[in-house]
Amino acid sequence: MQILINGFLQGVLIGGLGLAFALVYRTTRVFHLALGGLYALAPFVLLACLTTGLPIGFSIGVVLIVSILLALSLEETIHWPFARKRAPTEVHLIGSLGAYLILVQSIALIWGNENRVLRSGVDTTWSFLEITLAQAQLLGAALTLLAVIALSAWLSLANRGLELRALADNPVLVSLLGRNVRALRRWVFGLSAALAATVAMAQAWDVGFDPHVGLNAVLLGMVAMIIGGTGSFIGPFIGGILLGVLRAEVVWFGSARWQEAVTFILLGLFLFFRPQGIFARRVRLEENV
Amino acid sequence: MNYIYHLIIYFEIYAIVAMSLNLLIGYGGLLQVAHAAYYGIGAYAAALVWTKLGWGFFPGLLGGAFVAGVLSLLVSLPAWRFKGDYFVMISIAVQTLIYTVLYNWTEVTNGPFGISGISRPVISNYVFVTTGSVTLLYGVLLLGLGIIMALLKWSPFGRALQAMRDDELAARSIGIPVDWLKLQAFALASAMVGIAGGLYAAYVSYIDPTSFSLNESILMLSMVIVGGTGNVRGPLTGAAVLILLPEALRFLHLPDAIAANVRLLAYGLLLIVMMHLRPQGLAGTYRYQ
Repeated sequence: MQILINGFLQGVLIGGLGLAFALVYRTTRVFHLALGGLYALAPFVLLACLTTGLPIGFSIGVVLIVSILLALSLEETIHWPFARKRAPTEVHLIGSLGAYLILVQSIALIWGNENRVLRSGVDTTWSFLEITLAQAQLLGAALTLLAVIALSAWLSLANRGLELRALADNPVLVSLLGRNVRALRRWVFGLSAALAATVAMAQAWDVGFDPHVGLNAVLLGMVAMIIGGTGSFIGPFIGGILLGVLRAEVVWFGSARWQEAVTFILLGLFLFFRPQGIFARRVRLEENV
Repeated sequence: MNYIYHLIIYFEIYAIVAMSLNLLIGYGGLLQVAHAAYYGIGAYAAALVWTKLGWGFFPGLLGGAFVAGVLSLLVSLPAWRFKGDYFVMISIAVQTLIYTVLYNWTEVTNGPFGISGISRPVISNYVFVTTGSVTLLYGVLLLGLGIIMALLKWSPFGRALQAMRDDELAARSIGIPVDWLKLQAFALASAMVGIAGGLYAAYVSYIDPTSFSLNESILMLSMVIVGGTGNVRGPLTGAAVLILLPEALRFLHLPDAIAANVRLLAYGLLLIVMMHLRPQGLAGTYRYQ
């Protein structure tokens, strides 16, 4: 049971990243590797704010603003110009790869390559029945869960959220209906960065961080998106939870050494046998054409 | 002088790597991110042939090429079905899988400790001990492989690959066996990068899995994109930039500790600039349409 709960809590974080990755991928078809750079940056900015004596709430706000502004600048300087030229997805991917390298290496140049922690000392733990959970674990999962619920509600209820869902389903029609596609793309990149930064802060608070944690994290988000399916926004989040539980079980029944291998074998299996993911929507035949 | 030879040797190894990746990206339009894994397979297979079986230099190189070529089925079979982003995801999965096996299969690869004591090339009892002699040997091999790659471009095989790259459906319609072509291209490129891996192992005398990670694959991809694809000149330029960039940075009097970060940062910038201003790379001919 302990393993299951640990896996669930880790899965919530992976699911958050899955949703952040899927937000951009579903709506713009951009393979957003640079999200890994934004993920890596967030805890460093938080640490810098805390070191200067800023209160934690204000510091988190600064991190979110910095992440959103950077994501918007990536969209404005890289992806929007490519999209206007109708560049293929490979060009977006290479551009995003370049942005990832710039972000990560800039972090390493400013703060160094060493491992860092956001808190010191032994974390408070809570026990009930036979389960023991650390405060950082619970806080991180709760924060991510809140962010995901808020985002899902916004996507379902707000006009702008509904427009984003429409953009994911049929970008040409959204454009023909006179919606501002450029503004919608900015929303997507901003929200995705804010969610990734939230997960990054939660994870860093629990286990520490270094400049190179982003790539692995964003790849886990990508696997979560494939497991959950690219047909909905909530699918990648659920996919992330399932992936978190599976990874915890691999550690319990096998070895942590094979966690990554099992994760990516699962990716291959899904791509081959169920590329639409677990939570694929049932659609009319002509929608698949 | 030894330092100059050392740089030339690295250029020769990376030039072979870049030419093999160009076969996939530039001639075949197959963007993959698992090349470092096949470089590693070649290095490990050759090192094992030399250290465990005691065979000669060329049998070791051919052994590495053969194993890498056979294992290329891991990416070439999925290439029958997937294109674009989904194929990139598959190649990331293969890269991670192979890296995990190299890292964890301690009985064969010695795990994170790697394989040491690999001897320098020996041909007909002549030991290539000095860096000058190794430069000459690797230069001859590079020249041979370069001529093969140049001839390949104008051969029926090369033309069929380029036809497949430009329009797969049209290529199929005129009877080009696209699936078989992909198998051949991946086997050839993987065997070639396997040879480069063997050359690397013989030169540095020690290999461990960290030289064959996803980050190394990203570096190889960046090298080819920056140099250019679609001809032989482009990959050679990419390899030269990779080797000469750190030397150019020396004029900035950067501390050694941050030189690697600055190099990767420059690569990230170059990738974005190239995609905007010169998608075919510095000296390439093929650009994503």
